[in-house]
Amino acid sequence: MAAVKDDVVLEDLLRIDGLIKVFDGSVRAVDNVSLTVAKGEIFALLGSSGCGKSTLLRMLAGFETPTAGRIYLSGKDITDLPPYQRPINMMFQSYALFPHLNVWDNVAFGLRRDGMPKDELAERVESMLKLVQLGKFAKRKPHQLSGGQQQRVALARSLAKRPKLLLLDEPLGALDKKLRESTQLELVNIIEQVGVTCVLVTHDQEEAMTMASRIAVMNEGYFLQIGTPDEIYETPNSRLVADFIGNVNIFEGEVVEDEADHVTVRCPECLHYVGHGITGTPGMAVGVALRPEKIHLSREQPDKPHNWCAGDVADIAYFGAHTTYHLTLVTGMTLKVQQPNLTRHSGQGLTWGDRIYAHWSQDAMVVLTQ
Amino acid sequence: MLARLISRFRSVFRGRNAVILVPMLWLFVLSAVPLLIVLNFSFSEMEIASVASIWKWADDALTIKINLGNYLYFGQDPLYFDTYLSSLKFAAITTLWCLALGYPFAYFMARAQAHLRPMLVMLVMLPFWTSFLLRIYAWKTLLVSNGLVNQLLMALGVIHTPLQMMNTPFSLTIGMVYAYLPFMILPLYANLVKLDVRLLEAAADLGASPWKTFWLITVPLSKRGIIAGSMLVFIPAVGEYVIPELLGGPDTLMIGRVLWDEFFSNNDWPMASAVTIVMILLILLPITIFNKYNAESKSEEQA
Amino acid sequence: MKSPFSKRLAVVLAAAVVTAGLASSAWADKEKVLNIYNWSDYIAPDTIANFEKETGIKVRYDNFDSNEILHAKLVAGQTGYDIVVPSSQWAKIQIQGGLLQKLDKSKLPNWKNLDPSLLTQLSKVDPGNQYLVDWLWGYTTVGINVDKVKAALGGMPMPDNAWELVFNPKYMAKLKSCGVSFLDSPSEILPAALHYLGKPPYSQNVADYNAAYNVLKPIRPYVTLFSSSGYINDMANGSICVALGWSGDINIARRRAIANKSGQNIEALVPKNGGLAFFDTMAIPVDAPHPENALMFINYILRPEVDASLTNTVFYANPNKASLKYVTPVVANNKTIFLSPEDQKKLVIPDAVNNDVRRVMTRLYTRFKTGV
Ligand SMILES: Nc1ncnc2c1ncn2[C@@H]1O[C@H](COP(=O)(O)OP(=O)(O)OP(=O)(O)O)[C@@H](O)[C@H]1O
Ligand SMILES: [Mg+2]
Repeated sequence: MAAVKDDVVLEDLLRIDGLIKVFDGSVRAVDNVSLTVAKGEIFALLGSSGCGKSTLLRMLAGFETPTAGRIYLSGKDITDLPPYQRPINMMFQSYALFPHLNVWDNVAFGLRRDGMPKDELAERVESMLKLVQLGKFAKRKPHQLSGGQQQRVALARSLAKRPKLLLLDEPLGALDKKLRESTQLELVNIIEQVGVTCVLVTHDQEEAMTMASRIAVMNEGYFLQIGTPDEIYETPNSRLVADFIGNVNIFEGEVVEDEADHVTVRCPECLHYVGHGITGTPGMAVGVALRPEKIHLSREQPDKPHNWCAGDVADIAYFGAHTTYHLTLVTGMTLKVQQPNLTRHSGQGLTWGDRIYAHWSQDAMVVLTQ
Repeated sequence: MLARLISRFRSVFRGRNAVILVPMLWLFVLSAVPLLIVLNFSFSEMEIASVASIWKWADDALTIKINLGNYLYFGQDPLYFDTYLSSLKFAAITTLWCLALGYPFAYFMARAQAHLRPMLVMLVMLPFWTSFLLRIYAWKTLLVSNGLVNQLLMALGVIHTPLQMMNTPFSLTIGMVYAYLPFMILPLYANLVKLDVRLLEAAADLGASPWKTFWLITVPLSKRGIIAGSMLVFIPAVGEYVIPELLGGPDTLMIGRVLWDEFFSNNDWPMASAVTIVMILLILLPITIFNKYNAESKSEEQA
Repeated sequence: MKSPFSKRLAVVLAAAVVTAGLASSAWADKEKVLNIYNWSDYIAPDTIANFEKETGIKVRYDNFDSNEILHAKLVAGQTGYDIVVPSSQWAKIQIQGGLLQKLDKSKLPNWKNLDPSLLTQLSKVDPGNQYLVDWLWGYTTVGINVDKVKAALGGMPMPDNAWELVFNPKYMAKLKSCGVSFLDSPSEILPAALHYLGKPPYSQNVADYNAAYNVLKPIRPYVTLFSSSGYINDMANGSICVALGWSGDINIARRRAIANKSGQNIEALVPKNGGLAFFDTMAIPVDAPHPENALMFINYILRPEVDASLTNTVFYANPNKASLKYVTPVVANNKTIFLSPEDQKKLVIPDAVNNDVRRVMTRLYTRFKTGV
């Protein structure tokens, strides 16, 4: 969603150009990364632990100096600015609240550095505290607050200066699962209310999908794929992305037929007829990704030449809203299948060891060439 | 009745309490008892070659004769007030210099690479490996009029006649700061090394320059280290005897010398005890303030 | 009567060890051990060794450098020492306070060697000579570097009375340029000032001491060094030209200057109205663990040759009439060591002062030295 010339849809706020960070002469924590983030976007950096998310974020904040590459904010090169001169604020993973200052003074800290007049400052701090619903706690010290309250103080503090860009490093990482889910939406609400552009780091794909308008999936310092949440989920461009985002079954096979509107892929387990074209050639080795929730089960053998296979139930996991079955296929591959529990007894009476047929539609799959 | 008392006693000193009992007893024997003896002496009077007892047992009656004369004497001679004041002054000057020199020292030690830190701590403690007296004497040889410092300055042409450095407040301050600096550095270091760098980053992120960050974050958060270091320097410095005796001069009278005179020149143990008690009371004040701070900031640090 | 603080501290520490190690044990007297606590630099090199060889008694020899330290230890008790050497005026208080024990003279056959006139003088602090035996004696006086003083005074003639040199601002103002050293102790300076004033040096009257302070105050700016031991070297090498010091020390400085060929001509003066005598006396603490051995040692010291060797080493006179023929001629003929009968008669004999006076002395001395 980069800005399109002559068609001012969205204005670029942040542009990263070939950014590289090498630690200790050999660890390439961030490896030639380029990116643009539009104004008002919530952009998520998603990746497994150690892939370089924090390092990238810290370069944006100014805590790390890039080994190479430039960073532009509103078209201005800020690569060499020290952190305290960047119109960027960060909310730290551990919140990094100043333990010796109360909530009010924590929020006011940045404003005081700008020498904001007293009245305006008080007004701003009040409104920030109101925004995060902590008006009553202004006089408390951080250690007198719960984890969730601390998180909101940290948010208020990082928003108080009305930064052009807000950086969030694992903003909800320290909260328990339930609180995290409710806070995700609240956080998005607040960010949208303020209208700040936001780069968010997380290793939780659900969080990224819920909160972000676009996601960059990172691996070993570089971007695997950048796209909207549904793009990333429905059309992952590689095995790594498919694997990282949600649950997926990947069949390995080779292309037998490659047409403009469909491909056929032969795998040891079955023949796939995929309803979209790829850029490939017959004989090419590919993967076919199939999400567990897009598979149907039936006791009768389906009446079609492709997109089904037989298996034995090896495991049944009941999750309340849905049930996950693990089927062992003829080749020994395990196929994960997810079935919604639409009625109270929708388990079809399946039990361990039952022979069952899995089938899916031609739009359920994505062919992965890498 | 007795049985109840015993069981009561047992329940008080069971488990955790019993464990505390050992150091408590130790503290009592090693500091409370001597202090009580000194207190007892301070209410007494000197006879020809012994201290008169304030306790008298006669005709089945215990009479205690508390002589306040020693304490009242403080009011009669400005010597005591003046020397207490001058001791506090030199102790305060020493503490401030130690803080000014020790803080950057501790700061850079704490910011040094982790594998270098044990060695730096070692270097700070290195002087303790040689005799304290020797090290103070070494300063004497450096500072005398034909000493190394003067010779060097004269060789460089900075001065033409030797500077009078020995036996001045200058030489005393140098000696005191030198001797007490490690006691400032070590607690400060222990405190600063725990400082969360993310707080410094957060401050920078919010627009504070490194200088502002230092004053607004680092210093307040190392308050406990500053206070601990200052106490460790200030308290012994007030009663210091050896350094003023070796490096001080006529205008650096400190209470340690007065104490020595009371004890040895005047051979007046009760008066010496009274001087000591007043000194302890003077020192108790900063300790109390420290403890109050300590209790306050402890809960903060746990956050 | 000498030496700086470090020695003092070392002495205290050593003494503490001795005390801990030796504190009264029933069988101690059978031990072949003797613990002596004496002034530093106050003995001949072979004195101890010869005694040990002869008797098989192991001697532990510790030093102190002020009567105050010794007194404090005796008052605290359990020193572990068998022989201590207080100055006579301090010994007087110690006798009164019951800190010393009487000597068994039947064990001291050499007692006969003692000079009767000295015994008479000591009997003023020790009636009947029951507790004390003189070790050596000397006097507090003024020592000068003859040439430097002459030069510093310019045309001014030397005063008639040597005390004038150190107590009259007229002279002191000139002498400051070549360096003036005072003994660092109230019990040395104040009696000297009183004596200069013509008042009783060991006065029990506080008003006298205030008068003495008024003498001291104006000369304070001219005193360049307070020292009870370092001044020997400073005199010998010429960095001070006048010392209010001890006769023997000044003679040691003189000998050192001659030995080093430093060209400094040092002389102890005998003031016209007399120096302030001191008698350092051997005594046995009341709780001494080995009093028998102590008596043996005292008797040994009283041998003419042994006493003579002390005098030959440290330039202080001994109380032993019979020793004179063993004293080297240079020392024997030095009229500042063995005073002429007239000078000896003018010597001021020390006496103890009461606690109140001691306090006043300390206080005035502190004010003199520091201005506080
Ligand atoms: N200061 C540093 N010195 C050396 N190597 C570093 C430094 N900081 C990070 N690294 C390395 O760079 C790589 C990326 O680290 P980074 O902290 O950016 O990971 P991350 O994606 O944030 O991981 P996580 O999700 O666990 O926080 C890691 O291999 C890490 O060991
Ligand atoms: Mg991270």
